[in-house]
Amino acid sequence: MATTRIRRSALTLVIILLIIACFLAPYAWVVASSLKNQFTVFGDVTPLSWRAFVPVGATIENYVSLFERTNILRALLNTAIVAIGQVVFTLLLCSMAAYALTRIKFPGANVVFMLILLTFLLPIEAMMVPLYQVVSGLGLSNTLVGIMIPWIASPFGLFLLKQAFEELPAELEDAARIDGAGHVRIFFSIVLPNVKVPMVTLGLITFLFCWNSFLWPLVIVQDPARQIIQVAIAQQGSPTQLPNWGETFAGATVATVPLILLFLVLQKYFTQGMATSGIKG
Amino acid sequence: MSRGEQTLTVSAGAKTRPRKAATRRQKQERLVAVGFLAPFMLLLLIFQYVPLLVMARNSFYDYSLLNPAAEKFVGLRNFADMIEYDDARRSFGITFLFAFGVVVFVIPIAFALALFLNSKLPARGLVRTMIMLPVVTSSVVIATMWSFLLDPSNGLINGALDIVGIARQPFLTSTQQALPSLIAMTLWQQVGFGAILFLAGLQGVPSELGEAARIDGATRWQVLWNITIPLLSRTTLFVVVIMTVFSLQAFAPAFLMTQGGPQEATNLIVYHIYNTAFIMQQAGYASALSVVLLLVVLAISMVQMALLRSRWNY
Repeated sequence: MATTRIRRSALTLVIILLIIACFLAPYAWVVASSLKNQFTVFGDVTPLSWRAFVPVGATIENYVSLFERTNILRALLNTAIVAIGQVVFTLLLCSMAAYALTRIKFPGANVVFMLILLTFLLPIEAMMVPLYQVVSGLGLSNTLVGIMIPWIASPFGLFLLKQAFEELPAELEDAARIDGAGHVRIFFSIVLPNVKVPMVTLGLITFLFCWNSFLWPLVIVQDPARQIIQVAIAQQGSPTQLPNWGETFAGATVATVPLILLFLVLQKYFTQGMATSGIKG
Repeated sequence: MSRGEQTLTVSAGAKTRPRKAATRRQKQERLVAVGFLAPFMLLLLIFQYVPLLVMARNSFYDYSLLNPAAEKFVGLRNFADMIEYDDARRSFGITFLFAFGVVVFVIPIAFALALFLNSKLPARGLVRTMIMLPVVTSSVVIATMWSFLLDPSNGLINGALDIVGIARQPFLTSTQQALPSLIAMTLWQQVGFGAILFLAGLQGVPSELGEAARIDGATRWQVLWNITIPLLSRTTLFVVVIMTVFSLQAFAPAFLMTQGGPQEATNLIVYHIYNTAFIMQQAGYASALSVVLLLVVLAISMVQMALLRSRWNY
């Protein structure tokens, strides 16, 4: 009995070490190497030593040249603007639509819901060419609004909130209705305060989706001043073209750290939202 | 509605008054509903349904995005070209192979990870956080990270192979290894997401079932094989479809790591569409390719919905 227990915990330990090696080591290597010069990066890998994962003799010169040489600061700012805008409008529009579908009786509700349901199945990456034509036809190419506007009416967001709204007991609003409150007041002062968790979840997933989006911003924006972070770091170069690995790693770190911090702090909302809906950005 | 009004005229009299008031209220309700729904539906129509129509129409035209006005109706020519030249067939073939490779490995590994996370585990939260890191990392950063990890001369993986005594590998620069490398990367990226979905499924399995079977003398493996896995068939189908649909739409790996090469060995379909439309400026042909991709993804989703709707309750 005791030996099987020891064997089991040894196995558990091995699996955990394997997971660390697979999932944590690449991040450690990238972050550590972003703090080294080219020579050290290469030297620590061939032959491979523990130094590859630890910033021995750290220098911030890669970060300094990254911020001086490229417009990454501008790109970070643009991304923050787009992401916050997209979160605010997605939350507003999706919650309003979810309210109408769950709290107001009107003819045609089923048709409206079917129309939304169908778009859930559309693969967005397959729609880039016509979407480019529609958005640039509206004069929104090369604008931050053009980056966010196609994704604001999110069928995923609507489903997430609709589900939450349906779970709210009707008694909540009955009292307010007897007091003569209209839909607008019920929506803002009774329904919204009671769906904070799903709203936070949707906000976070929207932020993640927006921060990480690549193909659409690449297509719709050519102006470097309107570039967002993923496109900016994608254009830094590949291992063979680029003399400075450290600077690319610094860019990747800068693009990832804000999101990972957000994830670590609010992890349970992320995991919950993804598990219940099965959709991510 | 019309039926309600009919009974109204028949019954008439005293009941008319409150009924009329109700209709006025109903009208008001409808107006409010329109107000609440209009912004969402307007954007949905403009950015989902209009592009869909534009795409369907343009697949019958020959035009470029630089000068869309100079378009020419070509009927089914774009679709005929897809059959005649083998670029589309090859690209779709590579994409299906890629998706298949990802799914075949993601499902068992994600399931095993979920079982591991569902057991009594020290530092469970930490393990879960680690496998979720790639899920919240952008595909651009992952593609960048992996093209350096896989670099033939100074990459970390080749450094590790040296230590174990295995010969250095060319990875992305080899026609044989490029696609498997992208599959391995996508597996790494998605497996945590799959594990979280399986974990949610596992936590829905009533533990009494397994406990009862154990008391009756079933081994752990028997419980897993005969109770847990059948109960998770819906979850599994769900994960299979999500991973397939995700893989069919992969773009960043081909764009950033291989440029579709070497010798088009990693020319994934979304990258092919991007190149055709925005680089080669054959937007009509790209629209036709998009239509086919859209139909493939829709078909997969429909099959999923049909299967999920059928009763799979044990």
